[in-house]
Amino acid sequence: MSIEIRNVSKNFGSFSALHNVSLDVPSGELVALLGPSGCGKTTLLRIIAGLETPDSGSIGFYGEEATTRGVRERQVGFVFQHYALFRHMTVFENVAFGLRVRPKKTRPAEEEIRRRVHELLDLVQLDWLSDRYPPQLSGGQRQRIALARALAVEPKVLLLDEPFGALDAKVRKDLRRWLRRLHDELHITSVFVTHDQEEALEVADRIVVLNQGKIEQTGTPVEVYDNPATPFVFKFLGNVNVFHSRIHEGIARIGDMSIAAPGHDDAENLSALAYVRPHDVEVQREAEGASFSARIQDIHAIGPVVRLELQHLEDPDFIEVELQRERFTALGLVRGDTVYIKPRNLRLFPN
Amino acid sequence: MSTIATPLAIPITPSYKQKVARSRAISEPAWIRWLLIGFALAYLALFLFMPLAAVFTEGLRKGIHAYLAALSEPDALSSIKLTFIAAAIAVPLNLVFGVAAAWAIAKFEFRGKSVLITLIDLPFAVSPVIAGLIYVLIFGLQGWFGGWLSDHDIKIIFAVPGIVLATLFVTFPFIARELIPLMQAQGKDEEEAALVLGASGWQMFWRVTLPNIKWGLMYGVVLCNARAMGEFGAVSVVSGHIRGLTNTMPLHVEILYNEYNYAAAFAVASLLALLALVTLAVKSYIEWQSARYAAQQAVDAME
Amino acid sequence: MAKISTKHNNVLPGFTPALGFTVFYLSLIVLIPLSAAFLKTTLLTWDQFWHTVTAPRVLASYRLSFGAALIGAGINAVFGLLTAWVLTRYTFPGKKIVDALVDLPFALPTAVAGIALTAIYAPNGWMGSILEPHGIKVAFTPLGVVVALTFIGLPFVVRTVQPVLEDLEAEAEEAAASLGANRWQTFTRVILPAIGPALLTGFALAFARAVGEYGSVIFIAGNMPMISEITPLLIITKLEQYDYAGATALAVVMLVISFVLLLGINGLQWWASHRHTKGFILKEKAA
Repeated sequence: MSIEIRNVSKNFGSFSALHNVSLDVPSGELVALLGPSGCGKTTLLRIIAGLETPDSGSIGFYGEEATTRGVRERQVGFVFQHYALFRHMTVFENVAFGLRVRPKKTRPAEEEIRRRVHELLDLVQLDWLSDRYPPQLSGGQRQRIALARALAVEPKVLLLDEPFGALDAKVRKDLRRWLRRLHDELHITSVFVTHDQEEALEVADRIVVLNQGKIEQTGTPVEVYDNPATPFVFKFLGNVNVFHSRIHEGIARIGDMSIAAPGHDDAENLSALAYVRPHDVEVQREAEGASFSARIQDIHAIGPVVRLELQHLEDPDFIEVELQRERFTALGLVRGDTVYIKPRNLRLFPN
Repeated sequence: MSTIATPLAIPITPSYKQKVARSRAISEPAWIRWLLIGFALAYLALFLFMPLAAVFTEGLRKGIHAYLAALSEPDALSSIKLTFIAAAIAVPLNLVFGVAAAWAIAKFEFRGKSVLITLIDLPFAVSPVIAGLIYVLIFGLQGWFGGWLSDHDIKIIFAVPGIVLATLFVTFPFIARELIPLMQAQGKDEEEAALVLGASGWQMFWRVTLPNIKWGLMYGVVLCNARAMGEFGAVSVVSGHIRGLTNTMPLHVEILYNEYNYAAAFAVASLLALLALVTLAVKSYIEWQSARYAAQQAVDAME
Repeated sequence: MAKISTKHNNVLPGFTPALGFTVFYLSLIVLIPLSAAFLKTTLLTWDQFWHTVTAPRVLASYRLSFGAALIGAGINAVFGLLTAWVLTRYTFPGKKIVDALVDLPFALPTAVAGIALTAIYAPNGWMGSILEPHGIKVAFTPLGVVVALTFIGLPFVVRTVQPVLEDLEAEAEEAAASLGANRWQTFTRVILPAIGPALLTGFALAFARAVGEYGSVIFIAGNMPMISEITPLLIITKLEQYDYAGATALAVVMLVISFVLLLGINGLQWWASHRHTKGFILKEKAA
């Protein structure tokens, strides 16, 4: 473990930003702190960096207690959300800053600084910009310079606050892949904060889902997407249909439909919510087994996946369904048709 | 002269706006335009340009020789010297104060902050005559420390220290008022980045904070200096008007004027007017520089 | 200010020394000396104090100081708005220089302004020689005080209104025009409400500055008791007669008025920056 977070709590006045959070970040991994705004993810990142002090709990780096160490001594690389490049310094001087402010004893010679900075600028593929000033760079370029600057001090840990938040969609996608490749090259233990689930799922080795100052779930992208531990994680990682349900002796009932509910054998008339992803809903022309009927309200047939909006006949709620285009064409669906639907895969969370 | 000079404290990073040609629907007919321009210029001519022109005309009325003689007379020279001494003490002290106050107020949260900001503004709201009076009440013969000071033969009122104190008071808020909004707008990110990268507090201040507030700082210093050299009311109360000893340039102007030595009075006044013009020029240059910088940022961001 | 050190979670260094020095220096240069004025008045009984600050000559000086300041600020409100408008909306030769010179009253020592205005409006001056034959006397009359106070308050309205006019969206005016408003209606119903608070702030600043003004006034006023004598001059007169208590009493009256004005202006600026956001937030929450 290279970062150990133990029982960290943090309050801002009466607002509890973090509540008893514990987390291990394994060495060399790229971890995403994922959650909605105000969930405490940025606060946690800033506590790791030493930019905030926790009210209680401890932070350790590589088994060493770091809670009381100041921000200067932690040797972390921090990439700020809005980059915080020094606007009056050239790109070169920005990257060189961390080396230049070292005490005389450990400061590299000018020649060495020059070499290191150009090496880093090469790494982020922006060596040709070394004489420019930050205001003259595009957002994506600033982002990469901020990263090079953070790496210049050879940090043990790299922390990134919403690294792609301020970029437009196209640049964001490119930079995401680039960051992933860079991490595979450098293998530096990294933590980044994001509110974008797609970003977390695509880039991270491991995702930590935070909500209201608490960790909801930790796991690989596949684990958290396929096996959400809580309704919050289910909802936050992608679209989901929610059905009211009652569980009785191992059988869940949604409307007229009965479905096996393993693990709830002792349940007695237990009210629960059933969560189903849109692509886990089967659509049929004929009633067949456990299914219920719904009417097609709207069809979005663009691309390989067709999205249907269905209305349950007794329920005012809409049901969202995603079908492969082949299946959609085979069924020959048009708006207003009545179809029978059946969840292929659902999760029950008792109320 | 009680200045509430808040408009001076408008942050100098002007909002950069692409000048878009105004459409016809929202512009006025040419004759109205020129009428309005005419009225505005007449008002400015009456109240601004004419007094400025009068200073130089009156100063040179008796010819260039009399003009130069008035300026090189010993009392005039000593008043110039005293004016520079007062400014040379007051401006650096208020500079240090301004930076410290702006640092605490702009970068930290604490209770009583808005009260503190209002208190810093206070000298702008106080009549300069009162600014002088309060030091007389403390250090004058009848004042709190008057007896003690005269026992120890220390003179503050009717001496140079009093003039410096009064100048400190009236120029107190200038630099702080300039820096607070500027530093608030800049946030703490760059300073935090410097610390994460291993900079010490002083390294952070000299290498990151100071270069970022450079223009605002100079702007504040220029205005503070203009006021320090030109202050009249407050200094007049504490000076005692001792020729050659405790007269600053504005006080020297007053004495010459009251002696009906108009040409000499205006000659010295013209030096002060020149100082004002230089101040305005430097101020415009700084505004132009920072506007160019802001414009550059805006243009680059658009690319 | 005992509880001032509630800084939380901030890694930036230097808070304690910076705030400590700020409070120390503020107390030393401003707060303690100012409190001296208030403490000094306690030497007077209430009757003496009241008698001093309501003597006929003093009352006349209030009337002149406040009346002339009000008129000066009023002139500046009208023509300052006009100047700000012309400087932001129109182009004409020499505009940049004119724009820079608007700040002259901030930079020009008041004594210089005083003698210059006196020279212009004296009976043999540039303006005086034109006005005198028509029976208008400016120098050495209350009218001269108005002229001086107009001069020193000139930049305030221009500089508070100018940025607001610059930031005004052209769309709002175009929308008004597209809805059928003429230029005058657009000005009174769209533009004026938008710049109203700034105009009022500029007016208040000009007024507050003019009330305490001394240097530029004393040369042109003539300083005749009951007629053209301003309150700050009266303070100095009392001081020169070693009437410290009397001078201080007048100073305290002026200080209190200045503080009220300062608070009013702060309130005005707060209102100007919050008046629209408040309703907006309420609407947001309701939605």
